[in-house]
Amino acid sequence: MRPSPRHLPRLLRTAPPAGRAAQFAPRRTQPSRNHSAGPPNPPNPPSSSVNATEISHFSALASSWWDPHGPSRPLHLMNPLRHDFIQACLGSTPTSPGAPLRYLDVGCGGGIFAESAARHPSTASVTAIDPSATILAVARAHAKRDPSLRRRLTYLGETIESLPLPSPNPPQQQQQQQQQQHHSVSGPYDVVTLFEVIEHVDYPAAFLARLTQFVAPGGWLVLSTIARTWTSWVTTNLVAEDILGMVPKGTHDWSKYVNEGEMREWFAKDAAAGGKQWGVPRVMGVVFVPGLGWREVRGSEKVGNYFFGVQRLA
Amino acid sequence: MDAIIRSRGAYVCRSCTQRVQRQLRRAYTSSAAQPDIYDVVCVGGGPAGLSLLTALRANPVTAHLRIALVEAQDLAKIRSWKLPPDRFSNRCSSLTPSSALFLDKIGAWRHLERDRVQAYHEMQVWDGVTGARIEFDWAPGAAPAAGTTIAYMNENLNLTSGLLRRLGELGGVSTFDNAKVERITYGEETDEMDLREWPVVHLSGGKQLSARLLVGADGANSPVRAFAGIEARGWDYNRHGVVATVQLEGEGWGGADTKIAYQRFLPTGPVAMLPLPGNHSTLVWSTTPRNASLLKSLSARDFVAMVNAAFRLSPTDLAYMQTQESGQADEYAWRLAHTPFDHRAVPQTVAAVQEGTTASFPLKLRHADTYIGERVALVGDAAHTVHPLAGQGLNQGQADVQSLAKTIEYAVGHGQDIGVTMSLAPYVAERYAANHVLLGVCDKLHKLYSVGSGPLVPLRSVGLNAVNALGPLKSFFMNQAAGNGIKVF
Repeated sequence: MRPSPRHLPRLLRTAPPAGRAAQFAPRRTQPSRNHSAGPPNPPNPPSSSVNATEISHFSALASSWWDPHGPSRPLHLMNPLRHDFIQACLGSTPTSPGAPLRYLDVGCGGGIFAESAARHPSTASVTAIDPSATILAVARAHAKRDPSLRRRLTYLGETIESLPLPSPNPPQQQQQQQQQQHHSVSGPYDVVTLFEVIEHVDYPAAFLARLTQFVAPGGWLVLSTIARTWTSWVTTNLVAEDILGMVPKGTHDWSKYVNEGEMREWFAKDAAAGGKQWGVPRVMGVVFVPGLGWREVRGSEKVGNYFFGVQRLA
Repeated sequence: MDAIIRSRGAYVCRSCTQRVQRQLRRAYTSSAAQPDIYDVVCVGGGPAGLSLLTALRANPVTAHLRIALVEAQDLAKIRSWKLPPDRFSNRCSSLTPSSALFLDKIGAWRHLERDRVQAYHEMQVWDGVTGARIEFDWAPGAAPAAGTTIAYMNENLNLTSGLLRRLGELGGVSTFDNAKVERITYGEETDEMDLREWPVVHLSGGKQLSARLLVGADGANSPVRAFAGIEARGWDYNRHGVVATVQLEGEGWGGADTKIAYQRFLPTGPVAMLPLPGNHSTLVWSTTPRNASLLKSLSARDFVAMVNAAFRLSPTDLAYMQTQESGQADEYAWRLAHTPFDHRAVPQTVAAVQEGTTASFPLKLRHADTYIGERVALVGDAAHTVHPLAGQGLNQGQADVQSLAKTIEYAVGHGQDIGVTMSLAPYVAERYAANHVLLGVCDKLHKLYSVGSGPLVPLRSVGLNAVNALGPLKSFFMNQAAGNGIKVF
């Protein structure tokens, strides 16, 4: 897909009327894919942020998700940076929650980040959600390989819309009870993560509005995505997918990319509209250097891949 | 766990087996008892294995890991190792300042018997055929900030017992000593966990240890390396290293404060005299297997004569004395009278050899194809065996351990599974090329100086003399030897 101004600005769009998501879902040409990895997923309710084409695309990749030399290699290589960024966010304010932390990982896929978060010494629990049953089967099977994950990592086949909202102020007792149970810790969460997901969502504004309700006061929403620029079209679509074949074809839809400025704008508007109070966002731009992996490059958040973290103040 | 049940399966009815299985699973789920599953299982309690575990236990980031140590010997004996001050073990190693710094960082250095560790400050290296010589002493102002110590001579047992005391102080390591590794297999899949990629170490007596990361610190014939299917390539030198603890006529030409290491390249291999405290020294003589067995069979008097001859007489004289079955002492006295040499350029005369310290071992070069596999890492001699002429074997192992501990720390801090190759890859990237170059350099040096005649002989002497004359280059070499020089790799 070629860049075109008619896609701008995405974040100003609101949720579609009922039925529109289904109408727009098959708008991309379907590259040939191997569906043998699992059955196709049931269509999502129109109110969901999830795009059915996206689900079937990633489901088809399920079997190779954990192959460090497979198509998910860039994600494996990026994972340590996610932790560095989260630690930098948490360390940047005195009001950030301390260990042990409760995570919600949205769009967890095969669990590359969710597993590592659950293994991290500062983590109490990770709740990881993804709408694709095929991918969750892969994620659960892989998590079985590490006994230390069993009591700290819970996978749920949910979307952010179907996940029950946290009660506004959970009593202390209830929270403790949840921690003891280990399974299916309900929100709010100290860290809500959304890695390489928002660029696959049809209506990001509505999606963010729902997502932010899961962030505990003082907690952080941390995400990573790709800026919508000519450079990112060339690198992620043309070079990575079409020329080098480093990333499977159809992974990226350039028109869905969200710029860092648009992201800031959304949080400013949310606060202004009487929503939650948000701190000053932190941003880190990263660049993939073939042979070396991901490197932080200052200012590159305006150009390509970037991390974005924002603390909920109240 | 399941293997035990299965082996009992013949005697227990199926429903009973299932009941046992359920009970075992429940035992595992309760947080107290996780008897079999470890984050790190280290096979081998030598310097490399013990340093690794000490480094992991001493670091707050990795201190929570569940660690097991498997060793064939009785570790209590090594921990309480003690010799009188005038007796020294014959297995000594040179520790570079960077190894010493690492040992200090993990809190082990102060547990060594420090009065048994001897720093040395100069090296004298010369060609036994041509007499060309390189003197490694610090030119004024060229010495590194850390001090003028090139390296420390230390008994291997002093190091291992110090490490064991430090590990005891840190605690938290499940130790299985006097334990033989009977076999290593892979785990199994149950309803709750899938350990089919986890190595399981079976010990004599039936104990089984499942390892997230299995570390092979189990020496040159590493069973862990064999389990991982990693090939170690190289060749035998057809040489043996003869070691002995000897007593010199004095504290050395530099006195107690400036100790000197000597190495002479003979066509059959280098012979080295390395200083220990007082007038003690340790001998490492790389020579033919035939000469090695002769040396071990000689009387103390003849042995001492052979060692003195090795640093003083011509290779031709030595070759003759190696054909004598006995009587080397008289032969040496006669030949010495006809050999002109500078007394102060060779080690002081050996007066005696400590009884029972003469031993030998075959020399070889080996390098494993890689140091890691899925849930496997190799360190020290399990990964590489080097010719001892540069005294780098143990230091290479310490550098491996330092790198692996750092790799594990990074993986833990980023939530990675420390056993998977993706997490372990930085360790190989950091160590493989560096070890390979050092292995190659020592190998080439051995081969270069094994030539007794021909065009190579004058050429290599030009090399030695030239290096001695070039001050800056020499300091660079010395800094490399001391491990504090410019890092070229």
